[in-house]
This record gives sequence, structure tokens and C-alpha cells, in this order.
Amino acid sequence: MKQLLIFCLLVWLFINYGNCIEHDSSVVINLKHALSGGPNPVFKDRGTITIPSLRLSQAVVHQKRLTDVERIQIQKLANDNDLYRINATVIANDEIERSFISTIKACMLAEAELDDRLSVSVDYMGRVIGVSLVIASKATCEGSNVSIDKLGEFTTNVYVRHTETGIIPDTATYIDKLQKEKEAKERDDHKDNRSFLAKYWIYIVPVVIVMVISSATNPEAQGGGQ
Amino acid sequence: MANFRSIYKIQIFLTILVHVTLALYEDQVGKFDWKLSFVGKVKFVSLEAKRIIVATEENVLASLNLKNGDIHWRQVLEDPKDYKLELLHVNKEIVTVSGKENTWFVRTWDLNTGTILTEWFINTERTVPSLFTIVNEKLLHIVPIRGLQVEITSYTLANAENTNGSILKGISRKIPAAWLNKDSDCVPAKSYIVCAVSSKLYYVDLLKENSMFVSQSLADLVDNSAGKVLLIEYKQDVPSVLLLKNNIAKLGTFNGENIQIKPFNLMPNAISISNNGKDLIYQLEANDNKNKLIKVKAKDPQTGLDSFSLDLEYPLGLGAPIILGGQSKGSVTDLLLSTTDDALLLVRLPEGKILWTREEALSSVVASEFFELPISELDASIEHEFDSANDILEMFSHRISTQIKQFYNLVFGNNLLQNSGLVRDEFGLHKIIVVATRAGKLFALDTLTGSIVWSYRLPNVQSFIGIDNEEKMLLLVQRTAQYAPLPAHCVLLAQDTITGNGILFEFDPITGYSKAGIQRLNYKIVQATLLPYQDKNFLKPMLVLSQDEQAHVYPTQAVSLIKDHFSTMFLYVADTENSRLSGYTLKYSTEDSLQVTPSWNVDLAPSKLIAVSAKPANEHVHSQGKVLYDRSVFYKYVNPNLLAVATMTSDPIYNSVLSVYLIDGVTGLIIYGTSHKKARGPIHLVHSENWLVYTFFNERFRRNEVVALELYEGHWQNNNIAFSSFALSQLPQVQSQAYILPSIPQTMAVTLTERGITNKFLIIALTTGAIIEIPWMFLQPRFTNMPCGPEESCIPYMPEIPLHSEATINYNQTLSGIHGIEVAPARLESTSHVLIHGLDIFYTRVAPSKTFDVLKEDFDHVLIVLVLTGLIVATLATKKLAARKALKQAWK
Repeated sequence: MKQLLIFCLLVWLFINYGNCIEHDSSVVINLKHALSGGPNPVFKDRGTITIPSLRLSQAVVHQKRLTDVERIQIQKLANDNDLYRINATVIANDEIERSFISTIKACMLAEAELDDRLSVSVDYMGRVIGVSLVIASKATCEGSNVSIDKLGEFTTNVYVRHTETGIIPDTATYIDKLQKEKEAKERDDHKDNRSFLAKYWIYIVPVVIVMVISSATNPEAQGGGQ
Repeated sequence: MANFRSIYKIQIFLTILVHVTLALYEDQVGKFDWKLSFVGKVKFVSLEAKRIIVATEENVLASLNLKNGDIHWRQVLEDPKDYKLELLHVNKEIVTVSGKENTWFVRTWDLNTGTILTEWFINTERTVPSLFTIVNEKLLHIVPIRGLQVEITSYTLANAENTNGSILKGISRKIPAAWLNKDSDCVPAKSYIVCAVSSKLYYVDLLKENSMFVSQSLADLVDNSAGKVLLIEYKQDVPSVLLLKNNIAKLGTFNGENIQIKPFNLMPNAISISNNGKDLIYQLEANDNKNKLIKVKAKDPQTGLDSFSLDLEYPLGLGAPIILGGQSKGSVTDLLLSTTDDALLLVRLPEGKILWTREEALSSVVASEFFELPISELDASIEHEFDSANDILEMFSHRISTQIKQFYNLVFGNNLLQNSGLVRDEFGLHKIIVVATRAGKLFALDTLTGSIVWSYRLPNVQSFIGIDNEEKMLLLVQRTAQYAPLPAHCVLLAQDTITGNGILFEFDPITGYSKAGIQRLNYKIVQATLLPYQDKNFLKPMLVLSQDEQAHVYPTQAVSLIKDHFSTMFLYVADTENSRLSGYTLKYSTEDSLQVTPSWNVDLAPSKLIAVSAKPANEHVHSQGKVLYDRSVFYKYVNPNLLAVATMTSDPIYNSVLSVYLIDGVTGLIIYGTSHKKARGPIHLVHSENWLVYTFFNERFRRNEVVALELYEGHWQNNNIAFSSFALSQLPQVQSQAYILPSIPQTMAVTLTERGITNKFLIIALTTGAIIEIPWMFLQPRFTNMPCGPEESCIPYMPEIPLHSEATINYNQTLSGIHGIEVAPARLESTSHVLIHGLDIFYTRVAPSKTFDVLKEDFDHVLIVLVLTGLIVATLATKKLAARKALKQAWK
């Protein structure tokens, strides 16, 4: 239950970049991890990830449960505030091997109870350019001691992340906008196509009447004076 | 409908509002900007009575004033990366040949005005290095072909006027020369071509019909000792050449099919100057006198006897000189010298006085940095009043003496300020710019006048070759001048010309004084960075990564200071050869040994890495979010570790594809990636706050485009206390928008202010020589489905960026060969310093949000005092009147 809550809280918002790679291909990733820590890590097998179609971005994850020794090693790494490193060997369709390393804080891995995410970035041609291990977390480490029972199995989510197609200047919408403006102006002009008198006669007529009346009264007064 | 119209009106209004404030008034010209013009390292020279015609390595043809060295006119030819000047010949007109491989432009120029008269080009099928020379008004193009022959094509220059712009037909001639090999060295000597091949000297007179190469054994001509003979052109009326062996030159003159070697030794830089039909050989020699290291000698060309010798008043800061050219008139001889640090100087004999010096090294700046000046001694003593001790008496005496000094300054004026002038002003507008040049010379320029404050020559130093073959040195500011009495401290990192190992030079940027001098390191530098910690002397340690992945800290004793921070120290290295980016952590380091451990890598092959951009280290982000139309806040994704990387991929379908990635420099996570098909460089990246702007050329639409990317965290902030690259719960949302730039950008930068409150402006240098500023607001991606208008302080989207002439910050001062832009904040929040360097150096100040924190120059102080006193008087008077009235009322 708690795990589910955490999962809900930390929504991993990988934006789906859309299927824009040129050639679809499959990829096999051999994952190795270093549980020994220290400056010279010794990588041991962790599992295999098969991505049958990069375009569909779905992955088949094959990882063994950890042995007790391995659990203790991870716990020790976490307690020592050491680094947890993986080495991912990517074998693409064309049999070209590329090797990537990625590092996270071991304590974060332990606190997340081995719930990690693997980001596989591909370029526009579908070549893998980077493999990174990420823990979804709001803060680095809280320093809590995670019991060994919770460090049973990696629940890895794999995200294939495509390169977005480059944006181009949006001239069509702008021209459209200008066109609409022009039309609106024309329509306005059309509506108000009446003459000045026709438009404002309601204001002009009272003024004229007042003037006529006043000029009609004035000559009389003048005349009376004479 | 009406809405659209109002939007349009507002748009126009905003555009005007933003731009009207930018323009400069006529009387402000040159008030806070200056421009220095250069020609580059001089390659060919010709002295013509009152003027000097120079052709330079920067592909510039210019005329200098003989009296003061000022540029009379300057013509900038093609990009020096591709084209080289091969020949300069001055008769009634100037003739130049410039080109590359197999295409050359032959141009004639007017001597007085520098206007181009004719232009035509030579095109050959072969791409072998060739020579050009002019004999009897005929341009000879000489192509030596290995193992075969020498092809000579002669063009009559007088005909050139009729065939302007087209290919001029030349008369070709082939002379067999089967002995030519890759070591052969050929030079023209008037109508002769002279070649030295291993042990033999070959020469031929081209003016003679059907002439063939004549060979002579070099051993007979010069001494028999081991060593290769080099040929040096030697210009005089009789065809002659200098034969250089073991740094001793011999003069050989040709007469028909014979060569005569003069029996005396010369220096390799000897030249011949004729005066009233009498020739003299001038050369520079090293001198034993320690104060005057250089002496100039004149020799008789027949006997080799010294007819004149003089110790030069040669300034100490300049490198070793060579004579480029000279002229004699009566008893006066002018010699034009060029030094190893690219300076050009004119020496007038017989006095031996240096008339003027041009520091042409400044035409190729490879690193620049702005430095704040130190506060005056008096201000420093005020600041340090409470520093010393708890001794009350001492503090009292300190205060009294300070105040006496203050009073003295008030009455008699500040003599300290008048003496040196290099004292910080109130607004930080007066700064020192330190620039490092390709020639390995450091200069300090004053921002007020553009004058050189000091210079320092570093021998055998060259710049690093960075991404996309960019030449670069590193200037790192370890301590600024604000910690008086400690001087500012700066470090220059470069590499040794011979070994390629790193060079470290520590100096005080204000005075140019260096205690340790040049330190030559025993490793190659791959990466270097300043660490954000200060030791007790306020010195920021510098971390340098060597090629064999060893980390070094300078100063070395700072290791104890940074030992607690090893786990938060990360480095990245961009490997352009393999298109790889690698990250390293220093977590496993100890105080005794720094351990660099790889932590991530990104493999971009087979794409080519063309640009990497990190954010400016001294940038402040004032506002953490953007207020939306519904008053909610959209938080910015401000990741200080973010790198922007651009790659170019050759593609069979799309020709070339540009990809831009945003990569976290600590974890190596690719946060965002985008690719533009059919795009071409050069690409320019500007990375600041939470956004990235880049430009490229779109081949499909044949236009330059600008793309702006902006990163937001969303409606809630992830990590509002301290940012950590490891703690990532959500990827940032990327907003993007593209624009058309109706011009060709050459380089780009963004303004930087003290606190980051002021709006941001992009500063774009165009190939036209104009520097324009564009408000970031114009480029900021608009939110879809959100209103955009003045209320949201948002300008409606326009696909084409308007480039108003009012936005040109260098008004009519066109700049040539722009190479880079350096921006630094002033202490005044509104103002940024801008330095544009290239063939010209231009400095100005920009105020993106107008100078909101300074009173206007025409502010009426008298009026405000009068109004205030009037008001006070009126208040007092009415108070009195009111009191009197109240009293009267009470008596009633």
C-alpha cells in the first residue's frame, strides 16, 4: 500500500516524444552493476533488458532476485553513502556494441526499495546514445535505514526516450492570423460603409435643431431692440 | 475581430516601446563606447613615401600612416581560414593575389582610397602549392610539379582591365624539372626561379626564351658543413636570393647563367634598401648591452663592411623583431619591424627612435575577462576598521586618522584617484578587461578609454584547440579585487607550443604583476574549472584535469579546504574525436591523492560534436517562476549543472542533421533531445537561466533559424531549498518555439547583470558587422492555449524576428571579422558591459531595462531643492497662520 502511495506521489512524467525515429530496430541491453563500491568497481551481472521495438518503447525486463549477500552489499553501500554504478552494454541490430555507465547514490536506491528507472535515449536514427539510471525522488537521501527484506528485487521501469523533431517557424498560423485580421478589417469597413451623415445623423439633427431655434429667437430679439 | 486588431496594435506599440529606448542620441556617440581597429599579423609590406601598405595573415589589405601608424583605409578580404594572401605588389596600383588550393583572386586597388579597381581569378586543375611573382608588369604563376616540371603561366596585368571579373587567358610555359621532390624549396628572385633540392641549387631566368634550369652544387656555394640550405626571398634590383644554412645567410646574385655568392655573412632577416640608387643591407642583431638588446646594422652590399650600427631603444615587453621592410629618403631611413608577438613598429634611423607601435596581437583575442578595480586605500581603511583587534584605543586612533584623511580629501581633492585612476567607481562602470591573444600576449584594457594599461608577453604559448577547432585559452578568476588589501588573482591556462603541455600563469589582473611567472606543467590539460569554495585568503581553488585522468588542485595546499566537498565535485570532459561526453566524480579522493572516477558517459558517434555550452558561473536567477495569466506560478527548471550539446550528423537522405541535447552534467541523464533535418552550421548556442537559444541554417528553406527552448518544472517546485541533480521526480517540461532570423549570425551572447533582475537581451553579431540586441521576450516560447497580451507581459508570436536598425548597439561602427562577445555585469543592476572582439575591438554598455536605477543626466537637482524648500516654508507658514487663527477663534 505504502509503495503504491509513493508511486502515485512521484509520478514519473516522461513525456512521450512521439514516434519520430527513422528506422525501427530492436535493442538488447546487458546490465551489470557494481556492489563493491570504491574507486575501482567490479561489475557483476544484474539482468537483461530487451526492447523489441524502439518505436513502441516497450521493454522486457529480465532480472534475478538478489541473493542475501547482494542485499547486504547494497545495504552497506547505502549506509556508507557510496555510489551504485551500472554498466549497460547495448547491442543494437547492426551488432554494434556500445557501453554506458551510470551512477546514482546507493542510499537513494535503498530508500526507493530498488524501484529504479532506466532512461534509454536514442537519437533521430534510433541509435542509443545514453543509458541512465534514475531514482524518482524529491530529495536525495533521508537517511532512513532500509531493512534487508525490502531489497529483494529490482522493479525497473524502462523508458525509451526519442529525440523530438525540431520545431520550425510557424508561418502558416501567422499568415492565417494576418489574413483574418485583414478580413475583419474589411468586414468592419464594409459595415461602416455609410457616409458620415448617415452614421451620425442622430447627433447632428438635435444640434442643428437647437441652432435653428436659437438663431430663430435671436433675430427676433434683435429686431425687438430695433 | 476587434481583439485581433487590438493585439496587433499592442504588438506594434510594444515593439516600439522596447526599441525606441535602445537607440543612442547623437551626442552620446563615443561617450561610453570605444573601438580599436587592427589589421592582424603583417605578412607583406610595402612602404610608399607617406604610407605603408600592409597585407596580413588575417587577409586584410590596409594602408597605414607612416607618421603615427593609424589606419588610413582597410579592406577585409575573404575568411583567413580558407583564403590566404599570396602576393602584394605596389606600383601605381596595388596588386594582390589571395586564394586557396587552386583558385586565386587577382585584384588591383587604388593606392589612395583603397577602392577595388579590377578583379579576376586564376583557376588551375592542380592543387599543389604555387608561387606568384610580378616581373615587368606581368604576373607569373609558378607551379612546381614534383618529379616532372615547373609550369609557368604569365598574365599581362595591363590587359586585366578589359577582362574584369572573368578568367584572363595566360601564356603557359613548361620547363622540365624531374629533380623536384617534396623537400624542394623554391623562391622567386625577380625574373628567376631558384630551387634548392638536397645538395643542389637550380635556377632559371624566365624572361629568356627556351631557358632551362641551371644547376650548381650547394657545397661549392656555401660551406661544406652538414645541414639543409633554405632559400629566402631577397628583394633588390639585381635578382638575388639569401641562402640560409645553420642560421647564417649568404647573399647570392644572379647574372645570366652565373650565380655569385657574396663573401660575407648576413642575418636571415636582412633586407636591402635603396637610397638614391645606392643600396644598403639592413639587418638586426642581438646586442650585448642589457638595456638595449637589439642593434641595427647597415652593410655595404659589395664589401659587406658595416657602414652604420646603432643600438635600438627597444622596449622590453616586445618579442624578438624581424625587419619587414624599409625606405630611405635623404639621411632618414625608416624600418618597419614585426615581432614574434605580432606587434608592428616603425624605427626611424639614424636616431633609432621607435616612432610608433601597433599591437596587432589584439586582432586575435582567444580569452577575455572583466575585472573590477580595487577600492581606494581610504575606503579600504574604513572597511577594515573592525577587522584588526578589540583594542579600543587602536580602533579609536584608526578612526581618527581615517576621518582626517577623509576631511583632507574633501578639502584638497582625492589625489589618489587622480594619481592612478585605477580605483573602483560607485557603479562599477570602470573596469579592466584582460584579454589573452593567440600570440601568447596578455593585455589589460581600460573600459573608459580603451587604452592598454599593461601587457605581458608569454613566450612559446599557444591556445587550446577546442570544439569545432575553436582556439581558446582559459582565464579563471581566483579572487576579485573586492578583498582589499589582497590583490585580485587570475590564472591563465594555455599550452606549450613545443610540448603541448599545460601552462599556468598566475597574475594580478590590475597591475599585470606575476610573482611566479610562467609555470610549465608536465601534463596536458583536458579540463579546468574553478571550485566554489574560498580559502582563508579568499582564493578560489582551481581544479585541472590532465590527459591521463589525474586531477590537480591549484594552489596545492587548498586540498585540505576542499577535502570535505569531494563527494559533491563532478567534472565532465567532451571528447571531440570520438564524440563522447564523459562525467567524473571525485568522491573517492583523499587529501593525499585526488581520484577521478568515471561516473557516466554519453556516446554521440557517429555524429560530430560541434558545440558544448554550460551556463555562466556567475549568473543569478532572480525570479524562480513565471506568473501565468491566472495568477498561478509556473516554476522554472534551473539546473546549474545542465549542459547544452550540439552535434552534426551526415545523413544520406537529409544531407546533414543537427541534434541538440540537454544533458545533466552530474548524472549524465539526457533531459531533452531535438533534431533538425537538412540543417547546417555554423551553430551558435546561448545558454542561460532556464533556457537555451540556438541558431542554424535551414537548407530546406534557405534561411537562418533561431530556436528557443525553455524548461519548466511545472506548477509545483521539486526541490525548493537546494538543487540536486540526483533528486529528480519529474522531467522538466520543455517549451519550444522557432523563428526566422533575417540575417546571418556570426556569434551570440546574452546580457548578464549583477542580480539577474533586469530583463535579458540576446546580443547577436551579424556578418554585416552590426551587433544587434534582441529582447529575450521576443524569443521566449509562448504557452499554447494561453492568452498572450500586454496583461500577461507577452508579445504575440511573430515568425520573423524584427531587426530594427535602432537595435544596433554599434550604430555606424561596422565591425569586421567578429570572433567573440564577452559580457560582464556592472555593479549597477541595470547595466551590462559588452566587449566584442575580432579584427576590431568594440566595447559598450547595454541597459536592457533602461537605466532604471540611475537618475537621468538632465535631472534638475536645483528644481527639486527649490520645490522642497518651498514646500517646507509653506508648511511652516501655514502652521503659524493656522495657530494664529485657532487662537483668534478661541478668543471669540
